[in-house]
Amino acid sequence: MQKRTISGTFLRWLFLIVSVAFAVSMVYLWTLQTRLSQRNAANLLRLNIQDVRQDVIDASDANLLSLTRTIAAEIDNGAATDDAGLASLLAHYDVSEINLVNAEGIIYATTHLEFLNFDMHSGRQSGEFLGLLNGSATEYVQKYQPTTYDPTLYRKYAGVCLANGGFVEVAYDADRFQDDIDHIVVGATHNRHVGENGCIIIADEDWNIVSDRKNNEGQNLSVTGIWIDRPTMPEEVVFHATVYGDACSCMYVFSEGYYIVAVLPENEILLQRDTSVRLTAVLEVLVFLTLFAAIYLLVRKLVVNNINKVNHSLSKITDGDLEERVDVRSNTEFASLSDDINATVSTLKQYIAAAAARIDQELAFAKNIQQSALPSVFPPYPDRTDFSLYATMDTAKEVGGDFYDFYLLEDNELAFLVADVSGKGIPAAMFMMTGKTVLRDYAERGDAPADVAVNANDKLCDGNDAEMFITAWTGFLNTDTGLVRFINAGHNPPVLIRDGKASFITQKTNLAFAAMDGVPYREQSLQLEPGDLLFLYTDGVTEATDASEALFGNDRLLTVLSSEFGAGEDACRNICGSVKKAIDDFVGDAPQFDDITMLCLYYAGPEADGAANVSDGTTKKLSVPADTGNLEQVVAFVDEQLTSADCPQKAQSQIDVAVEEIFVNIANYAYDSEPGDVDISVSTDELGATVEFRDAGVPFDPLQKEDPDITLSAEKRPIGGLGIFMVKKTMDSVDYRYIDGQNILTIRKSF
Amino acid sequence: MNISTTKQNQALTIILEGRLDYNTSPQLDGVLRDSLDGITDLTIDMDSITYISSAGLRLLLSTQKTMKKQGVMRLINVRPEIMEIFEITGFSEILNIE
Repeated sequence: MQKRTISGTFLRWLFLIVSVAFAVSMVYLWTLQTRLSQRNAANLLRLNIQDVRQDVIDASDANLLSLTRTIAAEIDNGAATDDAGLASLLAHYDVSEINLVNAEGIIYATTHLEFLNFDMHSGRQSGEFLGLLNGSATEYVQKYQPTTYDPTLYRKYAGVCLANGGFVEVAYDADRFQDDIDHIVVGATHNRHVGENGCIIIADEDWNIVSDRKNNEGQNLSVTGIWIDRPTMPEEVVFHATVYGDACSCMYVFSEGYYIVAVLPENEILLQRDTSVRLTAVLEVLVFLTLFAAIYLLVRKLVVNNINKVNHSLSKITDGDLEERVDVRSNTEFASLSDDINATVSTLKQYIAAAAARIDQELAFAKNIQQSALPSVFPPYPDRTDFSLYATMDTAKEVGGDFYDFYLLEDNELAFLVADVSGKGIPAAMFMMTGKTVLRDYAERGDAPADVAVNANDKLCDGNDAEMFITAWTGFLNTDTGLVRFINAGHNPPVLIRDGKASFITQKTNLAFAAMDGVPYREQSLQLEPGDLLFLYTDGVTEATDASEALFGNDRLLTVLSSEFGAGEDACRNICGSVKKAIDDFVGDAPQFDDITMLCLYYAGPEADGAANVSDGTTKKLSVPADTGNLEQVVAFVDEQLTSADCPQKAQSQIDVAVEEIFVNIANYAYDSEPGDVDISVSTDELGATVEFRDAGVPFDPLQKEDPDITLSAEKRPIGGLGIFMVKKTMDSVDYRYIDGQNILTIRKSF
Repeated sequence: MNISTTKQNQALTIILEGRLDYNTSPQLDGVLRDSLDGITDLTIDMDSITYISSAGLRLLLSTQKTMKKQGVMRLINVRPEIMEIFEITGFSEILNIE
């Protein structure tokens, strides 16, 4: 999944939050404004209704009061107040009712006989007129309302004090006074607006329109779309109706027998709300956008940019630049982070330095071990004049996978080799040590070159889990004949330098060692002439690379080697030095990529045979070169002495075995670097025979060698170590001493 | 040392005569190398072997190891002085001597 950036995530969340805040505030504002508008509308409607109502009341009050004053004046002037007199006044002024009330508040004369003797104190409606009796008012007009006496009877009353006490109360019903004031009511609506487009409609008790701006007077109120049902619809409460096709908020009151209806179109009410909400929305959007941008920029500046700086430094550190320092100090948190990272890197540097120092030290040890495993003393065989050699190894790293080796297998047989382990460094070095040891072990066992190769290969394939392999060129030089038998395990062809001309030898190539077990290796041969030089090398020579990736190559190598180098070890040193210098010049400043190993062999030809039997003239002492080829001679010499001493056959046979084992041992191992002799003396007496071997080879006490475990099964029995064991078992005593540079081994057998 | 071999199908009989020592062992080794392929039954007649050294013992041991993988090897007509050496070295335990 693609990860989001902090600023992106922040932006998203900020946008979400701002949007929610915006929506909530809009909804709140909308609701609030709607309510406000409705309340304002209700107030507006109410005010208009009350205005109109007051006009109507004022008109009807004035109308009735003037009638009542006239009637009171008539009575004060002596008009008859008996039933007939009142009836004539009633008829004359076309009112509904005339009552005369005495100073005690009792109706004593009336046109409405049921009211006779009615006490004005007995009801709220009638009680309102008592002010006329206590002198606080001389006139009083009541609004149109139900009478105390009969709540179903609606009347409008007015009272005027009479000159001789009491007062006259005159009433009429709606029909009567509406006739008088309709013209006033009609005028009340025509010039009146409710808001911009609202209006007032007035209808009488029977819902006939009295006043309307649309001139629908006389028609039923329902033509406007308004329907009023007094029992279910309270006065002065907003109701909704479709008036002349527009949705409107309406309100009515019933006053003086009129339905006064105020109408205000909904869209006018909502116009205010919508305007207010729109304006606020625009303002909010502006504010939120500014806020949004400000916060975003702040986050970028304070967090994201700093994180990017830290990341930039961290990626440098990850790429290995431990000198990089994180330095973001714009705020405390980042300063602290910077310090922590710097401290971590610093600690890391110390650890790395410590680890590197340790590894360097170990590598130095390893290099030491590896170098000392290779023969490095030149000349290795100072007494040999028939051949010389010189070898060098330059590793690309502290330790390498190349190696060279050489050793005398016989006095006249020199094994020499150059090898290259796949890979470099520690793994190659470890495998190199194994390879070197295995090859030498099999070579020194005396096997034929092809067998050495097959056995060494099988051994190296065993447990080669790292899948490494070794290319090697192994030669076996017969110093007498100059014939080199060799095995080429996937290695570069050596260069033969003869008479100043260099050429690669022709050879067939077998598989590299350790690549696959059970493969055959073919022995090939090369005849060296006296004066020939043979140059062995690894691919570090031909594949040395300069700065432009060009290879040193075979041609350059041949050019360097096509020269007169003289003879002996000097020539060999010269060649190795010249090739190394040519490589160095070619490579220039480019780092050494691979190990460079070279071995150069000079063949001088068979030397005069300096070794010879040096007999001291006694019949019991023999001196021969330490060479297995002289074994028969030695055994014959010993047998001769034993026979003349009448040694029993069985003892003689056992002594023969012991002599063979010891002589072969000395011949094979005593003289590692130069040929030498073995002095053998046989002493016989009546009780037995003593044979003494002396050699000047490397000090070696064969008796120290651990006896083989002869109880092991055939599969587990090691192949060697038997000889000395047999000597120890069959002889009566075996003694070893090292005196004056000589190994002295003495055996004694009694008979 | 004289070596004569008789091969019958997968059975090989080798008759040895003389000394089996450091100098002669490679000779027998060569013969064995050339003829052991596909052999499941190897018989070595030791009747005329009068002398054996560690080189001979090593060769017998390695041959025994080889034959163990592909069949059997037995020694016949082993002389007492040779048997004594087998016993000293523990070879009497690991060689099939009849």
